[in-house]
Order: sequence, then structure tokens, then C-alpha cells
Amino acid sequence: MREAWRLIDMRVEDAYTQMAIDESIAYARRKEGTPNTVRLYRWNPSAVSIGYFQSLRDEVDLEACRRLGVDVIRRITGGGAVFHDFDGEITYSLVAPDDDPSIPRDILSSYRLICGCVVNGLRGLGLEAEFKPINDIVSGGRKISGNAQTRRFGVVLQHGTVLVDFDVRRMFTVLKVSETKISDKMIKAVEERVTSIRRQLGRNISFEEVRRALIEGFEETLDIGLEPGELTAYEEELAEKLRERYRSHEWIFRR
Amino acid sequence: MGRAELKVPGGKMMVAETEVEAGLIVRVKITGDFFMHPEEAIEDLEDALTGLPPAEVEAAVEDFFRGRAVDLIGASPGDFARVLVMSLGSSSS
Repeated sequence: MREAWRLIDMRVEDAYTQMAIDESIAYARRKEGTPNTVRLYRWNPSAVSIGYFQSLRDEVDLEACRRLGVDVIRRITGGGAVFHDFDGEITYSLVAPDDDPSIPRDILSSYRLICGCVVNGLRGLGLEAEFKPINDIVSGGRKISGNAQTRRFGVVLQHGTVLVDFDVRRMFTVLKVSETKISDKMIKAVEERVTSIRRQLGRNISFEEVRRALIEGFEETLDIGLEPGELTAYEEELAEKLRERYRSHEWIFRR
Repeated sequence: MGRAELKVPGGKMMVAETEVEAGLIVRVKITGDFFMHPEEAIEDLEDALTGLPPAEVEAAVEDFFRGRAVDLIGASPGDFARVLVMSLGSSSS
């Protein structure tokens, strides 16, 4: 009998609510004895998230974000800046105790395992995909997913982005790219390094198909059954509170 | 103000910004896309370096990481020392 984990399925929320929910699930896991959880979600409005240690001013063109209505948020996880395009990306998150037998204690090994869920999901769609240490997934040698993990509250929280579609020009309007201008040459160089599911498959695959493939990837890789569920009242209330911190100037401009 | 960037081979990007006044570090900030668990240790490290003479930075970084359970991914304690020393050496003041 496969272990049952909770699936919080494709909630669409803004950046502050999404990051608050990930943290509230992580906190509640031990506190409330909630089940291990996988979430799939999309960001509306589109948003830029930066890693805990990144400099906001170095990474994000705030003026462009304001102009385009793109939210800006700092994650509690390290790693790099991500453009979460509502029309081009699915994010997942996973929460399990840090001593769960299914999750390696070693951080790099746990990246390999959890990223393996996404890799297997992508393979289920017919893509060639593999984990690329430290925290990337590549398809055809190009990055298709970035992932970030934290360990706190006695749990592992890993979240990651899966590119369904990819508009490089839009991405570089909101992210700062060194001092260089957004030249055609540079866009071509990035297209050599980053890809998306639609590009790799050469067809206009739906979010629904990607969603189903990711669910299967998690279930098979971790030998679990994902059962659709909701946040507990405790998690919802905590997320409401945490959301205010994620929205605060002090947190966003922290570094 | 001093500033230096370091791309760790096989690892992540690090940027150090430092400010020295009257022979002492008065401000230090280390940013990048590396991973450190627990994350808040970065602020403790910056606090530990503030007030020191630049010559003591390498030893202080070493002491910091030896003295506590911090997991680093994509950068080593030596990389922190390196980018800080580069930043202090780049200072235009």
C-alpha cells in the first residue's frame, strides 16, 4: 500500500500568498501533524522571486516590474532569481519531515531525489530530462527547471519552477542581466541555455497535461499516492499572517 | 566602498560589499545565489565581521564556520573569505 500524501492542486494566488502557504505548510507539518504535502501552483499576477541571499537591486528591474504589473518577492530559500510567468510556468513545492525515511538527510542527495520527481514527470511527457547538480533540471542540455530548498521547523521544504513556455525577452525586461543590453545576440545565447516543455516537445501542450505528468512523476518516484486535499484552518490562518511579512518592504529589501 | 564578485567553480555566484572606516570594517554584505542552512546565519556572519580590521577577516570567517553547524551549498567557507578579501582589496577609499 502506497503512503498517502496530500496534494494541494493548482491554486492560483499572488506571490505573497504562494510563498506564505509554502512556509505555513512547512511550519504546520510538525506543529499540527499535517500530512506530507506536494503542491502545484501558478502565480497571478506574474512575479519575480529572488533567493534569500540575493540583492534585490542587483537582480530585479523594479521599474519594469511596476510598469508590467509584475510582483516582486524574496523567498526563504536560497538560490537564484526566477520569473514566474503566469502563462509559462508551473511551480511545485514539497514538504516532509527532515527525518522522513523517503528523503535523504544529505542535502545534495535530497535535491537529486526530489528533482527526480520532476525529471520523471517530464519523461512521462516524452521529454529527455535529467537532474543537473546542484539544483537544476536540464532537457536537451538546456535548463528547464530550477529548484531551491530550505530546512527549518524540522522539515524539508523544496520548491521549484517548471518552464512550460519561455519568453526570454519578457524575462530579461524584469530581471537585471549584468550591464548588458537586451541584444538579439544575448537573447540567442540564453535560448541556447534555457528551454521549455513546449519548445522541447514542439507542440502547444496544455497546463493540464503538464500537471498530470508532474503528479505521476511525484507518485512514481516517491512511491506515494497523492490525495487531493485542502489547507487546514491553521495553515490558512498562518499563511494570512505570513503573507504580511512577505509583502513588507523590510523583508523584500532585506538584502 | 569595496565590491567584488566571485563565480565559484562548479558552484554559485557571490558578491561581497565592504566599507572600511578608520581601519575597521563598518559595513559588510554578502549576496548571491548560493545556499546556506540556516539562512539567517548570513546576518550573523556579517555581524561577526563588522568592527574587525580587514586583516582579521580570513581568520574570523574560518572561526565562524568552525564554531557552528552551518550547511553551505555551492560555496565553501574559503570562498566567503576569498570574495571578502577581494572586496576589501578593491576599496577605492
